[in-house]
Amino acid sequence: MKQFIVRRVGYSLLSLFLLSVTIFLFVRVTGDPTTLLVEPGASPEDIENMRHQFGLDQPLWVQYWLFATSFVTGDLGQSFYYRTPVLELYFQRLPNSLQLAAVAMVLSLLIGIPSGILAAVRVGGFWDSAGKTFSLLGLSLPQFWVGLVLILFFSVYLGWLPSSGSGGILHLLMPAFTLGWYFAAAHMRLTRSSMLEVLDSEYVKLARLKGLPEALVIGKHALKNALIPVITLAGINLVVMINVAVVVETVFAWPGIGRLLYEGITFRDFPVVQCVVVLGGSMIIVVNLLVDILYAYIDPRIRLES
Amino acid sequence: MTPRSSSTTRRSVLALSAAAMTGLAARAAGAAPQDELRIASHVSLAPTWFDPAETPGIITPFMLLYAMHDAVMKGMPGNPMAPCLAERCTMAPDDLSYAFALRKGVRFHNGEEMTAEDVKFSLERYRGAASKSLKERVARVDIHDPHRLTIHLHNPWPDFLTYYAGATGAGWIVPKKYVEKVGEDGFKKAPVGAGPYRFVSFTPGVELVLEAFEGYWRKKPAIRRLIFKVIPDEATRLAALQGKEVDIAYSIRGELASELLRTPGLSLNPAVSSAPFWLYFPEQWDSQSPWHDRRVRQATSLALDRDTINQALTMGHSRLTGSVFPENFEFYWQPPKPAYDPDGARKLLAEAGHQRGFDAGEYYCDASYANIGEVVLNNLREVGIRVKLRPLERAAFFKAYAEKKLKNIVQGASGAMGNCATRAEAFVAKGGVYAYGSYPEIDALFAEQAVQTDRAKRTAILHRLQQLVQEKAIYAPIWQLAFLSGVGPRVGQSGFGLIDGFAYTAPYEDLTLKGQG
Repeated sequence: MKQFIVRRVGYSLLSLFLLSVTIFLFVRVTGDPTTLLVEPGASPEDIENMRHQFGLDQPLWVQYWLFATSFVTGDLGQSFYYRTPVLELYFQRLPNSLQLAAVAMVLSLLIGIPSGILAAVRVGGFWDSAGKTFSLLGLSLPQFWVGLVLILFFSVYLGWLPSSGSGGILHLLMPAFTLGWYFAAAHMRLTRSSMLEVLDSEYVKLARLKGLPEALVIGKHALKNALIPVITLAGINLVVMINVAVVVETVFAWPGIGRLLYEGITFRDFPVVQCVVVLGGSMIIVVNLLVDILYAYIDPRIRLES
Repeated sequence: MTPRSSSTTRRSVLALSAAAMTGLAARAAGAAPQDELRIASHVSLAPTWFDPAETPGIITPFMLLYAMHDAVMKGMPGNPMAPCLAERCTMAPDDLSYAFALRKGVRFHNGEEMTAEDVKFSLERYRGAASKSLKERVARVDIHDPHRLTIHLHNPWPDFLTYYAGATGAGWIVPKKYVEKVGEDGFKKAPVGAGPYRFVSFTPGVELVLEAFEGYWRKKPAIRRLIFKVIPDEATRLAALQGKEVDIAYSIRGELASELLRTPGLSLNPAVSSAPFWLYFPEQWDSQSPWHDRRVRQATSLALDRDTINQALTMGHSRLTGSVFPENFEFYWQPPKPAYDPDGARKLLAEAGHQRGFDAGEYYCDASYANIGEVVLNNLREVGIRVKLRPLERAAFFKAYAEKKLKNIVQGASGAMGNCATRAEAFVAKGGVYAYGSYPEIDALFAEQAVQTDRAKRTAILHRLQQLVQEKAIYAPIWQLAFLSGVGPRVGQSGFGLIDGFAYTAPYEDLTLKGQG
């Protein structure tokens, strides 16, 4: 087990290194940030001054070395745009993203799991078709469109909800629904397929043959096993919701990490983009590492095979 | 569960929802208090904009500087260089020094009195755009008494005031003692200035709250509280304005501007910025290129239906000056009004040997303004100039433009501050960042004006230079862009357009809500 954990941690560190190199190079391929921070017509010496200030006049490998060594000491650099440490910016926005992601996740599970169960139990019937339509719409309607329609209806037409910003439960409703719908659809589809598989298994058939009530068969025996892949997916989705709800946070002016990433990309703010991607990636790597270790702990075959 | 009980449950759920939503609505619909003005900003506000020392070469930070700080001299209604913290500025006969007499009794938000020490400190501390040129040319600053100082230059520099009191943040004054006490980072977290509004709080990416400074020297601001809310999406900004969540929404363009005009109680307020747009012909110095022929360049200009473009994209509010120099800039020369004459354009093309028109290659533009390019392309096609639109992402476009990699036609623009001489330096004169070539007579005039300290003579030289730019058809100007913003029903004086060439609302102390003075 110890050897297994050491190997997995090694893989995780390698993944983190590759992620940091990839994002470091990718942001620099997109162009020079100084052209976006001054007006066209600014003097070359101002531009050069700015490049020097941001360390962009250094060779690429020096820039990476500075980035990597600072990262190890917990310093992810200063934002070009905000001129404040990016970690400070990240942690200022994190509570908002956590709040939005938590509510969106609860909504997505509350909608996705029951509708998935219903669709599986009534396969081929009305509820199945309704569930499929719901998931098709959730996955295919662009979030910006859903967001704008909600704003038009609830903010402009009815005047019930604030169109943007943060501050209270009212501000949270529309962005959480917009974000949650997409993931509710994904959770619904997975619950449905997982339930169908479990409902077809021998032990469920046996439970039915034993004359157990249908509610007990579905609620106790089938659902428990069917939910394992859904919960695993939800864990990863939660990290995605926290870090890359770019469209929803931009449309609703929600001050979270997704919008920080959007601003970072818009202004070629390399340290911001690097910080969000590396920290988001780290979260996914850590979650996967924990899941791997947990699986190996539960099932000895996994650690022996690897 | 029986159908009856189900129905009862549904009804009660609906009733409960309705009651809840009514309650929510009552809370959500709460408009801003009577003495508070909410402004929806199109860009994220950066803490560096709270500090004049960091002013980059863009206009946006001035949106906040006008609220929190004040300058020795600055653009005000009817005067692009109005004395503010200085009562007067006198240039020495030898053009080597500028003496400033400061206004007495001016206080910063923390109660300290503004003195010549603060003015000197702010200039020396300045590290934003053009700081190098400014500091290289300033020899020293002499303080005579708390309200009088002189800035000495190494050599005569006719553009000193343009830079000091216009294009940079060097003339915007911060309190020396306070900055030294709290440090650079501390100042950005709790800025103190001498402007009409003082800092209350800032939540990055959310909002900036300012409160009226009752001791402001010019006048007591009419509105007690200003709140800048960051709403990056244009449609959401409009929705917030329609829902009365904000009173002013910056940057509402095109279709959304039409929608705004259809909403009762809202008005569209244009402010013509200092950003002219143009077509540039980078191959005009290549004798093998069709653009070498001046008649082809003139034909391109005649083909542009500027009025229609203006109506379609900025509701007719952009200014068709016919120049690539902003009309509010010092030394501006007004060229004849640009004509729309497709027949004349075809005639000129025929004379240049392009009776059937010609394939003109590609039309490069910043992707965020590709909508202008789409209309222009149709205009050009109508007279036989066939080009393909090549929108490039903003940074990539300006990089390629500056590195002189673009060909055929370039749709360019600039909102950089300065005067006509600084604009000519970047876009017309030899070696200019965006000049792909130059003409000897223009270069000679440019060199001549740079050392000319007699204002009238310098004006005459720069007028002649602009005339040559027009005669040689180096550019085909499109317009001077109008920045469109929406204003809600509560606003009395919105402040848009009061300061020439300034896109945002200002001076803030002049803003009023309806029912106020």
